[in-house]
Amino acid sequence: MTEISHIRNFCIVAHIDHGKSTLADRLLELTHAVSARDMREQFLDRMDLERERGITIKAAAVRLLYEHDGINHVLNLIDTPGHVDFTYEVSRSLAACEGAVLLVDAAQGVEAQTLANFHLAQEAGLVVIPAVNKIDLPQAEPDKTAGEVAELVGVAPKDVLRVSAKSGLGVEELLRAIIRTVPPPDGKAEDPLRALIFDSIYDPYRGVLAYLRVKEGTLPTRARIRLMATRVDSEAEECGVFAPGPTPVRELGPGEVGYLVVGLKDVHQAKVGDTVTLAARPAPQALPGYREPKPMVWSGLYPAEGGDYPALRDALERLQLSDAALAFEPESSRALGFGFRCGFLGLLHMDIVKERLEREFDLELIATAPNVEFRVVKGDRVWTVHNPSEMPVPGTYDRVEEPFVMATVVTPSEFLGPVLELCQSRRGNLADMRYLSPERVEVHYLLPLGEIIFDFFDQLKSRTRGYASLDYEHWGYEPSDVVRVDILLHAEPVDAFSSVVHREKAYQYGKAMVDRLRELIPRQLFDVAIQAAIGSRIIARETVKAKRKDVLAKCYGGDITRKRKLLEKQRAGKARMRRVGRVDVPQEAFIAALRVDQRGDRR
Amino acid sequence: MNARDAGAGAGPGDPSAAAGLYVHIPFCLTRCGYCDFNAYSGLGHLAGRYVDALLEEADLTAPAWQEERIVSIFLGGGTPTTLGPDALEGLLVHLRRVFDVAIDAEVTVEANPDTVDERSLELLLQAGYTRLSMGVQSFDRAVLAALERVHGPDSARRAYRAARAAGSTNVNLDLIYGAHGETIESWRRTLDEATALGPEHLSCYALTVEPATPLGREVQVGLVPSPDPDLQAEMYEAACDVLAAAGYVHYEVSNWARPGYECVHNLGYWRHRPYVGLGAGAHSYRGGRRWWNLRPPAAYIDAAERGRLSLGGEEVLTADEERLEAVFLRLRTADGIPAGEVHPLLAAPFLEEGLMVRRNGRLVLTDRGMFLANEISLAVVDRAVDSSGTPVG
Repeated sequence: MTEISHIRNFCIVAHIDHGKSTLADRLLELTHAVSARDMREQFLDRMDLERERGITIKAAAVRLLYEHDGINHVLNLIDTPGHVDFTYEVSRSLAACEGAVLLVDAAQGVEAQTLANFHLAQEAGLVVIPAVNKIDLPQAEPDKTAGEVAELVGVAPKDVLRVSAKSGLGVEELLRAIIRTVPPPDGKAEDPLRALIFDSIYDPYRGVLAYLRVKEGTLPTRARIRLMATRVDSEAEECGVFAPGPTPVRELGPGEVGYLVVGLKDVHQAKVGDTVTLAARPAPQALPGYREPKPMVWSGLYPAEGGDYPALRDALERLQLSDAALAFEPESSRALGFGFRCGFLGLLHMDIVKERLEREFDLELIATAPNVEFRVVKGDRVWTVHNPSEMPVPGTYDRVEEPFVMATVVTPSEFLGPVLELCQSRRGNLADMRYLSPERVEVHYLLPLGEIIFDFFDQLKSRTRGYASLDYEHWGYEPSDVVRVDILLHAEPVDAFSSVVHREKAYQYGKAMVDRLRELIPRQLFDVAIQAAIGSRIIARETVKAKRKDVLAKCYGGDITRKRKLLEKQRAGKARMRRVGRVDVPQEAFIAALRVDQRGDRR
Repeated sequence: MNARDAGAGAGPGDPSAAAGLYVHIPFCLTRCGYCDFNAYSGLGHLAGRYVDALLEEADLTAPAWQEERIVSIFLGGGTPTTLGPDALEGLLVHLRRVFDVAIDAEVTVEANPDTVDERSLELLLQAGYTRLSMGVQSFDRAVLAALERVHGPDSARRAYRAARAAGSTNVNLDLIYGAHGETIESWRRTLDEATALGPEHLSCYALTVEPATPLGREVQVGLVPSPDPDLQAEMYEAACDVLAAAGYVHYEVSNWARPGYECVHNLGYWRHRPYVGLGAGAHSYRGGRRWWNLRPPAAYIDAAERGRLSLGGEEVLTADEERLEAVFLRLRTADGIPAGEVHPLLAAPFLEEGLMVRRNGRLVLTDRGMFLANEISLAVVDRAVDSSGTPVG
């Protein structure tokens, strides 16, 4: 157990690409936490996906030892995920710390995630150490950025540290500032144990490995522990610290950050935000802030090959062992067969799960367009709908509510007009606007989540030449005039194409979908009507004219083998198509029609 | 037994099994840009040895075909008439000697308008050739040029008159529609000219771009546009109308005949009857097995001169493949297939849409349906379906 006054628990928060992982790498080197031989870039991002995308998905922790003023300090660096999908996970990582380094790119300045993360850190009561990074870049404006950061945090510009995580310049000063300004944890070793789980992973050989921060009390190896939210008792098979790999210790004392191996089969029993206590002497109250993971975005995942359904189910079950936020339930689509309606924290989370399913489990998937979860109200009955095809037709309910978010956009002021225009066109309500400096402005908009899950971010980037940044937090449900638009092929609704959109955009959406499908659906033996409808009202229509020629002109003796092979090829192509009523729809048509970035003209 | 009831053909061992005999002549004066047949220009010097090789192959092959009665002989190519009437006579005499050829067998020879005159056609008729098939392709000079045919419309007319003068009572004209630049009006004029001449038989083929041809390459690189399938369908429908009005029966996708003049030899293919093929690249079929000779004429000649067959490959059809062939070949013809061979749910949509009719207990494609025969065949070939009409298994 470490002397509590020598412990500093901190995290680094930053906008994406502002240098968080590079700074972490430098801190690891400076404290010799990793030998030169084992060092590699983005050391704490262990998943391939994290390293490829340059983002942090899972939290990580590492123990750094650093001697300062003759004292051997233990610094626990908690690496937090860096995306709006994982805001709750970020908040739990912050809750495990006493201090946060707020890192801002000297060339980019304060961005939306800088603001969001600063506010999260402030709410968590952390001491914030502002630092400007990348000061050695040619386009860096350290003074200007330091001014912005100072203004935001409420310190003098000279108190904003200046570093280059890349070269290591100023990093040692930063380390000292952490020791100097971040308070050591408090908490008594003899109190009943309360330890906060800020992440958990599943190891097929060892079971669940929970990342935790002991708030009070002591956690000895082999103790009988209790998870307070899930009410599960288990044995602490191993406790340890990250140095930098998992290293067993006899016990974890107050203020310490480490891990706990419990023989549980999946992470759903050791969820982020839960409190670990001792079964023999439980704490009277769990730590505050626990929340059940709640999927915000839903999409139907279907195997491209119908026979892969069991494999997809197994893969989702395997992923769920280590991803407590992933929800799924079986569903069947007339068009796509058997699959799963999956719930995700956000679009990035969805992308990650899809990519892992395809990459790690070698599955080919068709994903329906993502949608939010709606609430339908009729009298005193309220129910949720997370599959558009289950949305009742207008007239059979009192109202529909959809989730809203409070979005923060930071943009150079010259692009303010286009940004406001975009937000307005997405049914946004301006909540607040504030100039960070004469050149940069932050805008807060209340927006339907459903309006930003498609291409909002891309649109924002293209209207601001890439300069604007976005962050958002969930706001709650508000009544909304949305309707279900169905797409019919030959009078047969295709459930996979149903979508819930705002009434004013229904025609636009329906028309775009119908036009698109007209291009994608091959000519058949019959005219195929493609229609978009709200209830029984047709709002758009196109026709794929029947083909008139599909025959081999010449077919005689010598050629029959070859002609048969041509037909067999045609048959194989047909077999890969999905049948909707009498219409054959190629797989590619589904994939292309459902592709997020090409859905309709939403500009 | 009349030809229409022959169904998928008699099996091996049937003492009176009717079979066709095909002889391939791979020589042409020039190659046409669209043609992907096993044909060569500039190999005329091999002709003599090639005919000898055919005789040798006939001798080697005939013993295995004594159970079959040859009801039709077809000399195709290439351009068989490049061999000249004497060689063609000698060939037919030899075939009749070694195979069991029916006395009234249909004996067709393909002719290029530029390779025949009244005298040579007379000789062919005397030699026992009963049917002349002429590669006219079009009566439009521009279309003939687009097809890279060496003859003009006049030589086609001249050759046709020569055939009549020589006494031929069974003439087929081959026409091709849908070449680049051909309009529906031009095609109608070709049809009108053809019917005015009044042949017993007309084959009208939609131009098909084969990848391994000069035309195929031109289309691939964008020098020539690919034929427009809708325009071809319009031309096909024009042919159906014009030829029906002129008294021709549409008895196969691309074939029309005056009643009683349907091509016995080609019907044999569509009815899955056995056939024996002689010559370079020629295919044979019997009892679910298909085999074929080497394609290069030199290799073929070489084998024959050593007293050997030049087997190039073979396949034994699986039950599935046989079923597919039996369905798609017979659906090409006006005979169609027995209704009992198709699950009613699979046929229903086509009957509803007027692509297929039920006639005398058989399912027959309509004119419009015939031009969609591929996909319809694939749709009805499955035997087992679920309650919604979706094929299973």
